[in-house]
Amino acid sequence: MRPLGAFWLAALLALPIFALAVLPPFGQRMVTLVGIYALMGLGYQLVFGQLGALNLAQGALFGVGAYAAALAAPTLGMLALPVAILGAALPAALAAGPVLRLQSHYFALATLALASIVNLVAVHAEGLTGGANGLSGFALALPRGPVLLVTVWFCVIAAVLIYAQLFCSRLGDEARLLREAPLVAATLGIDGGRWRLAAFVVGGALAGLAGAFSAAISGVVSPDVTGFSVMVLCLTFVVIGGSRHPMGAVIGALLAVCLPEILRDFQGAWLLVYAVATLAIVRWVPGGLAELIDRLRGVRSPVPHTPAVPERLLATSGAQRLVLDTVVKRFGGVDALAGVSFSVGRGEIVGLIGPNGSGKTTLLNVIGGLDRADGGAITLDDMHLEHLPPHAIARKGLGRTFQTLMLEGDTRSADLARAVSTGAAFLLLDEPAAGATDRERGQLVSLLHRLRDAGRGVVIVDHDIELLTRACDRLVCLDRGKVIAIGRPAEVRADPQVRASFLGLAEVAA
Amino acid sequence: MAYALVALGFVLALNAAGAVNFAHGDLVVLGGAVAVVVGQSTGLAAPLLLPLVALALGAAGIVAARVAILPLAARPPEATFVATIALAAIIEHGLTVTLGAAPRTAPALAGSGSFDIAGLALGRQPLAIVVAGSILVAGVWFLLERTQTGRRMRAVSSDRHMARAVGIPVGRYIMLSLALAGALAGIAGFLLGHQFLVAPTQGAGHMLKAYIAVALGGWGSVPGALLGALGIGFFETFVSAGFGDAWASAALYVGILVVLAVRPQGLFGEPVGRRA
Amino acid sequence: MSGNFLDVGDFVVKAGEVVALLGGNGAGKTALLEGVLGFRPMARTVKLFGQDVSSLAVEQRVALGVGYVPEGRRVFAGLTVRENLAACSTASGAQRRHRVDEMLVLFPMLGERPDARAWLLSGGQQQMLALARALMNKPRLLLMDEPTLGLAPLVVADLLRRLPQMAAEGTAILLAEQRAALALGAASRGVVLSRGQIVRTGPAAELAADPALADLMAGG
Repeated sequence: MRPLGAFWLAALLALPIFALAVLPPFGQRMVTLVGIYALMGLGYQLVFGQLGALNLAQGALFGVGAYAAALAAPTLGMLALPVAILGAALPAALAAGPVLRLQSHYFALATLALASIVNLVAVHAEGLTGGANGLSGFALALPRGPVLLVTVWFCVIAAVLIYAQLFCSRLGDEARLLREAPLVAATLGIDGGRWRLAAFVVGGALAGLAGAFSAAISGVVSPDVTGFSVMVLCLTFVVIGGSRHPMGAVIGALLAVCLPEILRDFQGAWLLVYAVATLAIVRWVPGGLAELIDRLRGVRSPVPHTPAVPERLLATSGAQRLVLDTVVKRFGGVDALAGVSFSVGRGEIVGLIGPNGSGKTTLLNVIGGLDRADGGAITLDDMHLEHLPPHAIARKGLGRTFQTLMLEGDTRSADLARAVSTGAAFLLLDEPAAGATDRERGQLVSLLHRLRDAGRGVVIVDHDIELLTRACDRLVCLDRGKVIAIGRPAEVRADPQVRASFLGLAEVAA
Repeated sequence: MAYALVALGFVLALNAAGAVNFAHGDLVVLGGAVAVVVGQSTGLAAPLLLPLVALALGAAGIVAARVAILPLAARPPEATFVATIALAAIIEHGLTVTLGAAPRTAPALAGSGSFDIAGLALGRQPLAIVVAGSILVAGVWFLLERTQTGRRMRAVSSDRHMARAVGIPVGRYIMLSLALAGALAGIAGFLLGHQFLVAPTQGAGHMLKAYIAVALGGWGSVPGALLGALGIGFFETFVSAGFGDAWASAALYVGILVVLAVRPQGLFGEPVGRRA
Repeated sequence: MSGNFLDVGDFVVKAGEVVALLGGNGAGKTALLEGVLGFRPMARTVKLFGQDVSSLAVEQRVALGVGYVPEGRRVFAGLTVRENLAACSTASGAQRRHRVDEMLVLFPMLGERPDARAWLLSGGQQQMLALARALMNKPRLLLMDEPTLGLAPLVVADLLRRLPQMAAEGTAILLAEQRAALALGAASRGVVLSRGQIVRTGPAAELAADPALADLMAGG
């Protein structure tokens, strides 16, 4: 994501200025409508575009904002606008709790159910919402005409600029990690739950504001405004415009408002054309029209920032000792970890070895909080880690790399650099040398020594005994969930039990 | 009963393609529309329309898969989400443009009116729906549980990679599952189209019900989806009778929200051991 | 047909042979097996039964007569034992049923509960099911990836005992294993992989007696 360049800024300002200066009231109304949709779309981009969550409630929140404004306007006048924002943001916040935890297909269903409930209320709660006929006669208290246009576009421009600024920096990278590799994000200390809540509430607030403006512009609010068709429209124009691009919502909204006018002779056909366009964009131009325009301008989309190992490797968190005490983990009836105990101090590198199925990755998962231990204790100094969520453990000073790369286009060195850059006191490295050339292995060993000299503690799982011998102070050998040897590398390698476990000799003897 | 067919098709497509097809509800409407149009233009008797609708919608199911689902299999789930929603809109608006938005009546399968049995007037169409629906569900059950084709379809749904490794031509079986899903949707649309009419905007409603049924019954579970659909049917009839349609729907939506909050794997969600 | 049932350039597996493919985790054993099947591209040219199969899809290669027992068994969880077996069969009707019954006799552990859903089976039973499934169409080449992982010693012994029996009937078997001693006990030859390259080959007895083997295995 890049900050908004001059080209887009000019386009963004030009539209409302052009409308005010040149267009007749009908044209101005259309441009205002574009702004209104753009606001709703921007809100949607937060949850759907940035976090990749299949949200189907945006249309309903738009409707809630419209109704809230309609109800509040006669008594509160202009203050109806903030009321509408709250009116949409509050239910979003309340509903968010249980809903955001759900996996994608359940999340979509839950938001769909919520939206349907809102629609039902709008149609049937006649006392409150005027039922099928809706509400009217409130618009006099709200801004209209050119004043409304300016208000709406002021909000749009501010929102687009803030969005571009926020997401072109670290926040954008965090969102990308949450979206594509939530486990990696957790090990970097990113709290996915809080992120989703913030995005959902702010997105809902924008929808509510847009709804209020739409009530102002049409003067009438009816249950259609909470219907599924609004949601589909929002989703499709955001996708067509570009679900992550800061100008995506504006461009999509522009198309959504202008297309029916252009195709006005073909009644209803514009929706068909629109839907086909959406499908085509998803298949062939997934970044949307905004990105297409950027590409045609010769502007390259920014390559996601590749993490590099920082120069200074000192730890930034304070824990001194990581201790595992009789850690147990069961899967079904099998003990993946049958009472593992060892400890790692700062400035120490411990290698973890063992045959396939011995529990090495399970152990790393349990330490890092991705799995719950069934027994035993894991502590960082005197802090217990067993019941903390992964992102909290990360923040206490534990970093990690993964055996399989989770991000598209990622490399093992990037994964490693990311973990090191967190400044965590202790690092858990899962097979960082897999597939590496001899030269890369040498570089890994020097990095590990530098980390040790800088006072970090490292637990490294790998199969390359030579590498571990060069890099580690101690080796821990696991076999079927138990520690069968701890000591200096040479000692452990010579241990007859260790040699037997690697060859499977213990089995033959049985 | 017709809802059971919709849910059945939905879950079969879900298992085969590994993704939710948001256009499934609109395939139901399309089935009804085909019945209306073909019935009117050819004057064929209703029972003969049934296989025609099934074939047409089977083909539609395959087209939907090739256009909106399979090409996006490697992309993140949002892509299929959007593509199938767009497809649903295409079907809905395509029908509006060609047939108009006004609801039409599909031909009744067994004629309208009612039977008089032991003093109770049983509508012929509802009865026909129950009979036809039961036969179809039984047929699908037989296909899945007792035939080699069905076994292979289930193997493909269970573990696509491994199915290839035992020599099963996976692509073919996915297509078959999706064609079956389409056919079931179409037949359901035909059956529902007499009592509840056929209108382009009904798609979203059908889809939501199927979605709820599958979530209630345990994601991916075929018997669960059927039970879920039947459960929804009974629940709605029951609440409707006492409090009216609106409350029935509201209760259903609140109900599914509660279930999702409390027991996300569904009422009959499959326990440990099933491949995620 | 005598001759090479499997030819991957660096080594071959002949009819009636059991070849142990050894190497630590990350050595490339699974990658090699997946490459032979066609799940991933291979630098080496793969020939099955004398035929270059580079252009063939997985299903087509399997149809030539290859059985695969993957790491982790991967039985079809929702299907019963019988259904798991039947689904893999290319025979029809009565022949298929007959073959399923044959398998249930050959593998008594499966014969005990033929109508149990696969996910309910124990690790050992699942492993037997995975093997029986691979044998349904009487493959001439059998590929096995770490079949002894997580199994009780008795089951391991039962499993490994069957291999020379099958080889005697003409099947070629490539057994990928981390536990070298076990594999070499059932094999006639061994091939050791490290980082995707072959570092050692030789008769099984020779390799088993080699003191440097443990280091080679641990080399990753």
